[in-house]
Amino acid sequence: MFEQYHVGNVFDEMFIEPGKPRRHYAPIVQRLSDMDIDAFERRRRMADVLFRNQGITFTVYSDKRGVEKIFPFDLVPRIIPADEWELLERGLTQRITALNLFCQDIYHEQRILREKIIDPYLIYAAKSFRREMIGVHVPKNVYIHICGTDLVRGIDGKYYVLEDNGRTPSGVSYVLENRAVMKRVFPAVFNQYRVRAIEDYPYNLLHTMRYVAPVHAIDPTCVILTPGIYNSAYFEHTFLARQMGVDLVEGQDLVVENGFVYMRTTAGLRRVDVIYRRLDDDFLDPLCFREDSVLGVAGLMNAYRVGNVALVNAVGTGVADDKAIYPFVPDMIRFYLSQEPILENVPTYICAREEDRKYVLENLDKLVVKSTNESGGYGMLMGHQATESQREEFREKILKEPRDFIAQPVVELSQHPSFCDGTNVISGDGSRCFEGRRVDLRPYILYGEKVIVMPGGLTRVALRRGSLVVNSSQGGGSKDTWVLEDEEQS
Amino acid sequence: MTLIVDPSQYRPSDTGEARPMLSRDADSMFWMGRYVERAEHVARLLRVHLMLLTDVGDLTPVLEHQMWLTILSSMRAGKEPEGSDPVSVRISRYMTFDPSNPSSIVSCIARARENARAIRESISSEMWECLNGVYLWITGEEAGARFEESPDQFYAHIMNSSMLFQGLTDQTLAHDQRWYFTQIAKYLERIDVTARVIETRFDVLSKMGAQLDQPIRNIHLMGVLRSCCSLESYRRQHLADLEGQRIAEYLILQKDYPRSIRFCVEQLHRATAGVRISNGQHVPSAPERIFGRLEAQLEYASIDEILAEGLNEYLTRIEQATSEGSAALQKSYFLY
Repeated sequence: MFEQYHVGNVFDEMFIEPGKPRRHYAPIVQRLSDMDIDAFERRRRMADVLFRNQGITFTVYSDKRGVEKIFPFDLVPRIIPADEWELLERGLTQRITALNLFCQDIYHEQRILREKIIDPYLIYAAKSFRREMIGVHVPKNVYIHICGTDLVRGIDGKYYVLEDNGRTPSGVSYVLENRAVMKRVFPAVFNQYRVRAIEDYPYNLLHTMRYVAPVHAIDPTCVILTPGIYNSAYFEHTFLARQMGVDLVEGQDLVVENGFVYMRTTAGLRRVDVIYRRLDDDFLDPLCFREDSVLGVAGLMNAYRVGNVALVNAVGTGVADDKAIYPFVPDMIRFYLSQEPILENVPTYICAREEDRKYVLENLDKLVVKSTNESGGYGMLMGHQATESQREEFREKILKEPRDFIAQPVVELSQHPSFCDGTNVISGDGSRCFEGRRVDLRPYILYGEKVIVMPGGLTRVALRRGSLVVNSSQGGGSKDTWVLEDEEQS
Repeated sequence: MTLIVDPSQYRPSDTGEARPMLSRDADSMFWMGRYVERAEHVARLLRVHLMLLTDVGDLTPVLEHQMWLTILSSMRAGKEPEGSDPVSVRISRYMTFDPSNPSSIVSCIARARENARAIRESISSEMWECLNGVYLWITGEEAGARFEESPDQFYAHIMNSSMLFQGLTDQTLAHDQRWYFTQIAKYLERIDVTARVIETRFDVLSKMGAQLDQPIRNIHLMGVLRSCCSLESYRRQHLADLEGQRIAEYLILQKDYPRSIRFCVEQLHRATAGVRISNGQHVPSAPERIFGRLEAQLEYASIDEILAEGLNEYLTRIEQATSEGSAALQKSYFLY
């Protein structure tokens, strides 16, 4: 099956060179090579049917009516050996710790500004900086309880942090469902490896939530707040609620009275203690943020500020994953922890800085320009693929609002074989075969009583050949991600 | 894992009390249950009807037309759809596939699924997959061809899916408040349809009266029982003796049969009491009082009295009482 596989000149996760797989991939390459292509395709179809019947879908808004689509699933798993994972785990733990200390600092003493590590202008100009949070005590000083950090691998095979998603990162339900489907479709392949279990994530998430419950709540009531059935991540909200056994509420189900939050039940009002909100800050409370929001709960921020309810994640964490603040995370690690960063950032130019801006404008055709106010692959310029007029457009935008833009060199993401059969993944010449597709990795980190990094994560795949954009809204798929047990320990 | 409730707000259950549920969840649970039951009824009515027409052979066009219209009135499905196809094709398609018709099977299943999706975390995976499966089945590309090939099999599949769904509801959901709301929904819908089937069918039969000879009349009476899924159990009770008055008595007053109105009302009474008890309240709730009174009425009613009052008048009174009960239920639990 891999005879025709083309390794190319980027880092390939599976092959060192054609016909020579990396050690941890050897058993699966052997297994797949023994299988004929029809059998493989049948399994892929089986996986699709499983996803569709279970309604594991996300909503795409191409026209007025949202369409439910399944998230394309790429059957060949991504495998990460124990030693590589150990490094990632340490790096991610260090990073979330620093980010939490940063949030605590920025909304209280602001030492990092006074010691001139970060320019105060960058903070105050960030749309995600919430003045309402200054001086507010949050339970246990945890701001980012749940983080989904995007990692990529460069040509050198080294992992880089591309983005810290410290607001409401999504995708974890796909990680768990991909694993469940994988075990059903490919049990024999799965059993060949010692893969670390991820199934206790909902349990850990519940404990993370309970850890920050107000002291008066002896047995706290935890809920998930969803924008509703039409949200693109609605499946995930119901999935997590079901897995944790908690209620899934909408804004209309909650009411604030005397500074406490209650939900409307068939037996009257019940107090709510911890809310995992899958709603942006902007929509949380029409009395405090956007007054036209009908998704939120009037008075919620007051209850939060006096400590009668805990929000997961805290309000205002967006300042820590703002794209213009991101370049300072290594400095934060040095500043708060007196450690050297374990995981590196992608080099980043901040257009608000004069010398950086000059460089960016001169090298627009070599850089990726990103808007600091958008996510999900929107508002981006891929300089080397763009037309002259697109570059001109960005040049003007950058000159007008420099704070809104950063630029990075093009990272040639690592590739991983994907099965092409004309439906999910289209091969270059239309035949059924394996071709390399670019991948990234989003592990999920919980910060509660201790930091727990889920052993695995969401490997997203750019299903179009040569594409570097892996976002699901831009036609990305996903893979199951296997982190292997340490062989020496077992 | 321990239960996630706050003891200061809620007394955990030495009496087996359930966790209180969100009003919105209760509402969706209720409508999910009603729409599944409704889809089953529509499928059964159409299936029985097609079979009946085969059995009676050629009817006068006027009579056949009239028979088809009873389907629309039994489901309160509005006006006859226009078009050049024969009436049987027009109405069966309209009641099966037309998304603009809120009573069509497709609409009922889509709405049941919408409601289920809104409470995905409250129902079991088995229930969801069953409902999602039948939704994909009926909205899928092959649905039309399956229907053309055998409407009978097509409707049987819908009915079986509903039965499967109810079985899964009973066997995979705790019999707490959530379950009670699905039961209330199911029996309210069943009373509604059964009452209207009796009304419309006996109405047509009495109008046709003398025109019908005995064999044809029997086939029609069997059709009434089949529409209520009651032919076999009726025979066990009364042998094959088909007689209008007995059939009406059976469908309204029969004690232990899950399709009779009396049985459904008993279940409504029981389920509304269950909801109230699981909330830890001691005084009967408004809907419970309504259904309790209705249950007593049916228990002591006789078919002679009913016929003396007039079958339609009596059934209208029952429908009024159940819709009052339904309104009281919404007011007490859904519209907090």
